[in-house]
Amino acid sequence: TSVEHTLCHSHTVGEPEQHVFGLWEETRAPEDLHYLSWEVRANDRRFHQRQQRRSFLCFEWGKYADNAVRSYKYTPLTFLPLSLYEQFQRIANVYFLLMVILQCVPAISTLPWYTTMLPLLTVLSVRGLKDLADDLVRPRPDFPLHRSFTSVRWRDVCVGDVLRLRKDQIVPADLLLLRTSEPHSLCYVETSDIDGETNLKFRQALGITHHELSSEPVEPTLLAFDACVWCEQPNSRLHSFKGVLEWKGVRHLLDTDHILLRGTVLRNTDIAYGLTLYTGADSKILQNCGRLSVKTTQMERILNRVVIGVRKIVLLLLMVSLLLAVGAGIFEAQVAPRFEVLSALGAGRSPAYKAFLTFWGYVILLSPAMPMSLYISFEVVHMIHSLFIGWDLDLYDAGSNTPAQAHSTALNEELGQVGYLLSDKTGTLTENRLLFRQCCIAGVLYGLSQRHTDTRTTQHTPLDLSWNPFSRGGLQFSDQRLVDKLRDQDSTEVREFFTVLALCHTVMAEWKDGTPVYQAASPDEEALVGAAREMGWVFLSRTRDSLTLSELSHIRHYQLLALLDFTSQRRRMSVVVRDPEGVLKLYCKGADIVILERLRQDCLYAQGCLRTLCVAVRSVSEELWEEWSRALAKAAMMTQCGAVLDTLYDSMERELTLLGVTAIEDRLQEGVPETIATLKQAGIKVWVLTGDKRETAVNIGYACRLLDPDTQLLQGEELRSSSLLKVTEKRRKHSTSALVITGPELVQYIPNYFSTILQRHWPCTNTRSNNQAFGEQPGWDGRFMALSKLCQSVLCCRMTPGQKAGVVQLVRKHTSSITMAIGDGANDVNMIKMLSCSTFCTKQVPLLWCMSGLRSTMASVHRSESQACESDLSTQIWAS
Amino acid sequence: MGKKVAGSGPCSRIPDNSAFKQQRLPAWSPSLTAETVLPFFYIIGLVCVLLGVALFLTVQKIQEIQVDYTTSGTCDACFEMRSNKMSASVKCRCSVDFSLKENFQEDVFLYYGLVNFHQNLRRYMDSRDDGQLVGRTTNLKNPSTYCEPFAYNNGTPIAPCGAIANSMFNDSFTLKYLPPTGGVVIVPFYRTGIAWYTDKNVKFRNPQIENELLPQVFQGTAQPFYWQKPVYELDPSDPNNNGFINEDFIVWMREAAFPSFKKLYGILNRQSKAIFEHGLPAGNYSVTISYNFPAQYFQGKKLVVLSTVSWFGGKNIFLPIAYIVTGGVILVVAVVLTVVYIKIGKKGLNMEE
Repeated sequence: TSVEHTLCHSHTVGEPEQHVFGLWEETRAPEDLHYLSWEVRANDRRFHQRQQRRSFLCFEWGKYADNAVRSYKYTPLTFLPLSLYEQFQRIANVYFLLMVILQCVPAISTLPWYTTMLPLLTVLSVRGLKDLADDLVRPRPDFPLHRSFTSVRWRDVCVGDVLRLRKDQIVPADLLLLRTSEPHSLCYVETSDIDGETNLKFRQALGITHHELSSEPVEPTLLAFDACVWCEQPNSRLHSFKGVLEWKGVRHLLDTDHILLRGTVLRNTDIAYGLTLYTGADSKILQNCGRLSVKTTQMERILNRVVIGVRKIVLLLLMVSLLLAVGAGIFEAQVAPRFEVLSALGAGRSPAYKAFLTFWGYVILLSPAMPMSLYISFEVVHMIHSLFIGWDLDLYDAGSNTPAQAHSTALNEELGQVGYLLSDKTGTLTENRLLFRQCCIAGVLYGLSQRHTDTRTTQHTPLDLSWNPFSRGGLQFSDQRLVDKLRDQDSTEVREFFTVLALCHTVMAEWKDGTPVYQAASPDEEALVGAAREMGWVFLSRTRDSLTLSELSHIRHYQLLALLDFTSQRRRMSVVVRDPEGVLKLYCKGADIVILERLRQDCLYAQGCLRTLCVAVRSVSEELWEEWSRALAKAAMMTQCGAVLDTLYDSMERELTLLGVTAIEDRLQEGVPETIATLKQAGIKVWVLTGDKRETAVNIGYACRLLDPDTQLLQGEELRSSSLLKVTEKRRKHSTSALVITGPELVQYIPNYFSTILQRHWPCTNTRSNNQAFGEQPGWDGRFMALSKLCQSVLCCRMTPGQKAGVVQLVRKHTSSITMAIGDGANDVNMIKMLSCSTFCTKQVPLLWCMSGLRSTMASVHRSESQACESDLSTQIWAS
Repeated sequence: MGKKVAGSGPCSRIPDNSAFKQQRLPAWSPSLTAETVLPFFYIIGLVCVLLGVALFLTVQKIQEIQVDYTTSGTCDACFEMRSNKMSASVKCRCSVDFSLKENFQEDVFLYYGLVNFHQNLRRYMDSRDDGQLVGRTTNLKNPSTYCEPFAYNNGTPIAPCGAIANSMFNDSFTLKYLPPTGGVVIVPFYRTGIAWYTDKNVKFRNPQIENELLPQVFQGTAQPFYWQKPVYELDPSDPNNNGFINEDFIVWMREAAFPSFKKLYGILNRQSKAIFEHGLPAGNYSVTISYNFPAQYFQGKKLVVLSTVSWFGGKNIFLPIAYIVTGGVILVVAVVLTVVYIKIGKKGLNMEE
């Protein structure tokens, strides 16, 4: 308590987004930290185990959850209460329970009590057994790792443990990073299972722990580590963390950069040590997963409405009972006294009381009017349907040996009722296996123009790359001129172009059969570095501050001075390197609009369904570098705020000289055009949401037959004209039309759905309340939807993940039909989370489009915790 | 499929290519279009109408006569006497005359009918002990609580207990034929064989105690309040028709569904007298009633019904009418649908568009 007392100072609780943290003593006044009530004592197992959370049946007590991976819902003890609790959330079951209770009242029981009990028991046991069977087949993973440097399993991890993680291990609990084997205790994590972003993020340990715990031998030092951490109670905010590390009498502020979240994967870091803060159900990701809820399908909701809803069966039943009871009352009052036998049976009760009893009697008698068996039939049909989905040969992918899998049996029939299909492009419509197709260097175009030619049928004469010992093949690029130029020694632009490709990336090299294989966060980086390798500019290896290239078999070392990371906002990345001759260079590559802002050249490839990246260079003077690096170091010391870094990066990435443009092709998945055509024939509105440029998106639209050659394209500006809808209506009679709109336009017209707040806080923000906060423009969203309803398809380009989620919301708000989103789980998590019915596509499984529940993409480890329902969407089903 | 070898081998998860799993089992999925559905409407409508007409003609052939004897004939006095509870045990006989206009062919059934008697009240129908009626000796002395308040008479268990048995119909009839040549011929009726086989042989059994006769078995039980004689003396003429297996009793215990009903009393014995060999001849008849059952309390009527039967059963006009009406409605709908289809349907949207 004494510690707690010293922490309690008066100050306002900070606003939600506080990026500016550092050493607390230096930078900030003491804060009111009483909300940091979660205490973690390092290496004090006894303290935490005393407060271990225990549970019996549904009751839980204790503070700290254990870390066992619960891929199953039930234990033998909790099965009965949990399953009953879930089942009695269905109103029909409650109704029948009431009936059974009524039957037990002798005065009104019409039938022996077991006659209504039996059907109820049947329903309950059929459902319960089905849930149990679903639960039993789930995998129960547990992974080995090292705690206190002995090997333990996940479930043994306890709050306060110091864990050692190795490369490519999944982080088992929310950890405070103490130190890593890398300089400055940096480490890289892949967070794609949490937020869908595939690029690696770096996390850095506190300076104090890095320095104090680095002394050899490391592990005894860590075992003796006896700090105390005060942090927030477990919560679901993935991108915020507040806490204080108290060690040796000094307090250090902690924030989200020091935290490794459960479910992330350690990358490019040999060993990392972490102090366990939240385990199991307390971890951020599981807090985010929310409670398991009974999913109801549209069908079930309709059924519930019909059975229970106002003016429906129940009311009818009560009305009938009431009428009959009134009749019985009249009979008892008028007729029965005349019959000595009947009045003797009444035993002196008043007619009104007898009518009251009769009413309940009739309620029981008429209860078979409730379609109870329909519920069971639904269950059985769902189950068989999902089996058939798994058995479908057409949904089996031979390449990855995976059949379709329906994870939740309840949502199958929704598939047949989809009215709106919102699809991601990359990885869903296209393979996301990128191919280097063309490049333009110094105004000369290399590579064939592939516009209007089907790339699959074009025969290439493969380049002769036998001179290159590092070649692994697979390059679909055939322009001998470029190879000649490269080997010709005198064309500096071409050489520099490939130097950039080989230098400016975050790819890691792995050696296999004497040639480097590249591991990249994004497929286009891999494509570019791979293309450079084939051309003889081979990226060999990287250390923290150097890169090694083999330029046509000459090994050259570049000193890596700074790496200006790629983010989806910046849409570019740069490196500052010192080449072996000692010249400072800034190499930059990024989306053409972003780069073109910074120079003056045009060389557009977007017309050819190709994804373009510009490559540019800037010579940096020593003085400028000195100054900038000092500023950067200062910024890095002082803050972790992205905005400051962004402006700093921005100041560096200026006055670029364009080297050239690369064009990468993202191939359509097999069968996509046919599927889209069938979908369109079935009257399903297909929306494609993509981050690409308008031209690319439109071309992809043509390629996958989303747009026909005679389709009338409507632009976003047309939303402005008031007579638009009428005009469109008229046009529609002659030809089909499609709407092409960009993300910025949507933000401009319908800001309430696409506010920046939404983008940042999508996991936990109630957007409805935000809408009120922002100046709503009534009518624009309605107008947009009215327009899009007239269109056969809608292409939304240049969308950020947050905007995708906004579109989904918009569609859901304005239509009653079932909306389905398809994505491969990377940047589409937001979109998919917005829906109850969505499709999760496993990577590289062509045309095996699957359907997932709300949170299937949250984490593959925690997958079983999500009631994912994967199912299919093939042409076969839609054709029927 | 089968692009790669990965799809084969023992580790393969490729689904079975069987007819069941790939949904290739022979199936018939009819598509419901106007051309396929409308003929069914016409056919079903016609079948219903024709069936209804056929049944109607059959029912029309059945001969039936109902004689209301509540207050008619000489029964007026008996009616008055039964209104007075004091004279409930005084015997009263009366007779009613009627005539048949034509011969009643073949088997003739004699029914008694009650109007306005609610045998269908739920609590009334529950008021019986099936365990007792099936002959369980334990239930004989311990009637079920369902029988309350007709279970005990001053502590003595009532057999048979319950409201139904208590209110048993206890008029008896003698039918006399008055031939034109003069004289009186008593019409013979079978008084057994009028209950359901299962009722007579399964649901109703006399309690059996070894070496004891029926009256001894029923020793220690009381007769129902309204009864004039105990259950083992219901039929003095036939010792095997006494106790719970008395057929009049069984017929009464099978409750009627409506307040106005008729129950079988006897079947004409055509063998015993040559004159009745082909049924009842036309002419004058007189029915003599032993008038016991009071009807004035419930403002009811008591009837004697004579009827022949066909394969269809007794005279019931409801089913033929129902068939004719249903068939007619279906035909009208069919015509409307045809008109709609011809006027609009052909031009309308179909699934393809």
